[in-house]
Amino acid sequence: MANIIKDRVSVSEQAVNQRVKNFDEVPLRYTEEEAVREAKRCLQCRNSPCTENCPVHVDVRGFVKLLAEGELKKAYLKVKEDSPIPGIVGRVCPQEHQCEGACLLGKMGDAVNIGKLEAFLADWAMENGVNEEFEIKEKEQKVAVIGTGPSGISCAVDLRKIGYKVTMFEALHKAGGVLQYGIPNFRLPKHIVDKELSYLETIGIEIRLDTVVGQSIPFDELRNTYDAVFIGTGAGAPIFLNIEGEKLNRLCSANEFLLRTNLMKAYDQKYDTPVILGKRVGVIGAGNVAMDAARCARRFGAEVHVLYRRTKEHSPARLEELHHALEEGINFKELVSPTRIVGEDGWVKGIELVKMKLGEPDKSGRPRPEKIEGTEFIMDLDTIIMALGTRPNRLFLSKTPELKTHKWGGIIVDDGLMTNIEGTTAGGDAVSGGATVIEAQGEGRQAAKTIHNYLSSKNQSPEEMQDEK
Amino acid sequence: MKYEITRKEDFNSEDYLLEVRAPLVSERFRAGNFVVLLTHPKGERIPMSVLKAENDKISLIIKKLGKTSYELDTYEVGDSLEAVIGPLGNPIVVKEYGNVAVASDLVCGHAENYAASKALHEIDGNHVISIQTFPTKDLKYLEEELKSVSDEYHMTTTDGSYGTKGHYLDVLVQLLKEKKVDMIFAGGKISSLKELSDLIKPYGIPAMVTLRSIMVDGTGMCGSCRVYINGEMKLACIDGPMFEASMVDFDALLNATARFKEVETEAMKNYNKEAGGK
Repeated sequence: MANIIKDRVSVSEQAVNQRVKNFDEVPLRYTEEEAVREAKRCLQCRNSPCTENCPVHVDVRGFVKLLAEGELKKAYLKVKEDSPIPGIVGRVCPQEHQCEGACLLGKMGDAVNIGKLEAFLADWAMENGVNEEFEIKEKEQKVAVIGTGPSGISCAVDLRKIGYKVTMFEALHKAGGVLQYGIPNFRLPKHIVDKELSYLETIGIEIRLDTVVGQSIPFDELRNTYDAVFIGTGAGAPIFLNIEGEKLNRLCSANEFLLRTNLMKAYDQKYDTPVILGKRVGVIGAGNVAMDAARCARRFGAEVHVLYRRTKEHSPARLEELHHALEEGINFKELVSPTRIVGEDGWVKGIELVKMKLGEPDKSGRPRPEKIEGTEFIMDLDTIIMALGTRPNRLFLSKTPELKTHKWGGIIVDDGLMTNIEGTTAGGDAVSGGATVIEAQGEGRQAAKTIHNYLSSKNQSPEEMQDEK
Repeated sequence: MKYEITRKEDFNSEDYLLEVRAPLVSERFRAGNFVVLLTHPKGERIPMSVLKAENDKISLIIKKLGKTSYELDTYEVGDSLEAVIGPLGNPIVVKEYGNVAVASDLVCGHAENYAASKALHEIDGNHVISIQTFPTKDLKYLEEELKSVSDEYHMTTTDGSYGTKGHYLDVLVQLLKEKKVDMIFAGGKISSLKELSDLIKPYGIPAMVTLRSIMVDGTGMCGSCRVYINGEMKLACIDGPMFEASMVDFDALLNATARFKEVETEAMKNYNKEAGGK
């Protein structure tokens, strides 16, 4: 531990006044020299707390060491062993709570910038045409993966590597789930998503777009056609507050605003999908989705107010997003909660808010926001975006009544992520309700293991099982 | 060549039929379902009415209303669409109702009218009364097709140039007076559906109306198509598109469907400019 460098190599970013006018990526990435320099800061802890704290257990110490030695290709392949879409997760993981949160250097100064190193390697590999090379021993059994979001991707990749024939089903016209429709381009450029997803097809995974399982193809048909199924349908259904005035125009869910903006590219004149935003936009909620919506609205030229019932220190948003949002001039109105929407001629005109105070910690460990009676006031707004979280989509669940779910819609699974239906696993937000990309990927991997065990035991003759012992 | 256009027919100067290869939709389409269509990668996702489905193909009826429908009209047989997704929404309940009136006065009603009449006509005990309304004689379509799948057919034009002068609502008033109507299905203009709801209230007749609200994904993700049914928020794409008329908050829906009017007009203007001021 001779050489401790407390400060991380800084990442240059698009200037604030410039980036609020475009949807291009905000952090510019490390150069090779910078990446190597940053990697050299790693203390190479023997117990690798970073890996321990990663939902897919990327060998961080291993890849950072290789990178520090200038072995870019080897470093990239090391990441790929556990993380099939490193260019994506390097950009969207809340590293401060995961790998970087456990980094020993973080206790003395800045943690190693693991996320940016991962993204650097992925981009480098993409630009230099570096790919994994492995042989797939084909198996006869077929697996259906419903949903092409983060959990489905890792489940599909792991199963394909073992040799199963994997078909993924996507309801939208583009693959990637939340990576495609939810996370804005300035945080996760869509060419990165397309490129990393094309890898899936390269290794022989079939992706069927425009296919709404439950409507276009009945779930039973999938079960009969495939030997096992993974359900990674996410949590795509918006939540509204059920307060007066939600029928008004220019009030929408963050999902609608982000779908229009990201999937349908409403910000690009060449695309046909419209977005209507007034001058003053209020975003209700302060999680990652709220930050995404707020920052998109800012880029459409609006004055944006995030309305939050706690204070921003208690926001569940990724630190970098919160920081970027504040830099971009997004106003945080803390300790307020909406009571009704005020309208005029069918359009939003404002919102009535009540002041809140922080009380005792609740189940989430954060202070419970409490209403201060009689403190209601009106704030003028033209547009209101509800970013209150999402819940599992009812569409798929309504077509699969045999599938056991919690009352709130989450699919019930055992420790191995097996549902009550034989050979059918589930993971990601469809099970947890709302988690990070990487947590969903961890579940996708777990489900892949469970499916592999299930299919192995199902298809082995007693003699084969004897052989393996 | 995924969603290839296999046939195109102009009904009149405003409405046309597109037959598209869409095997997944075709296999499972039932009356009441709709599709979401994306013309090209930069286009918008819009819900479309399906007339019928046969042999891997579906027929859509499209009215030239805005940029996308005009642009789509420039597509020819052999061209392909970017996406045709479905069947979406819930099908109608096909059973013996007795005297069933099926009425429509706009594109997202006439196609549904045919699909519903056809399905209901196949059930013994149903007396299917199809009613269509058009502004004028030159804009009518599907008359013969609807006659072939109904027991009784009425056409009205608002200018009186063909059939009975008036609206399907006028025909319904007459029918309600003359004999028993046990069930009504209706689609088209939301303002007409609202009138229908008021009209039949005293009779206590059930009526399922197609609510075509603005959609993006069509699968329950965005909430753009939310409608209020007995005060409760529902999504037209996955809970509908048909709802019992007496429960619908039509005013909220009329307000919501008008919300993109300005940008739509602007888009159409720009499109015309680009297309050489056609």
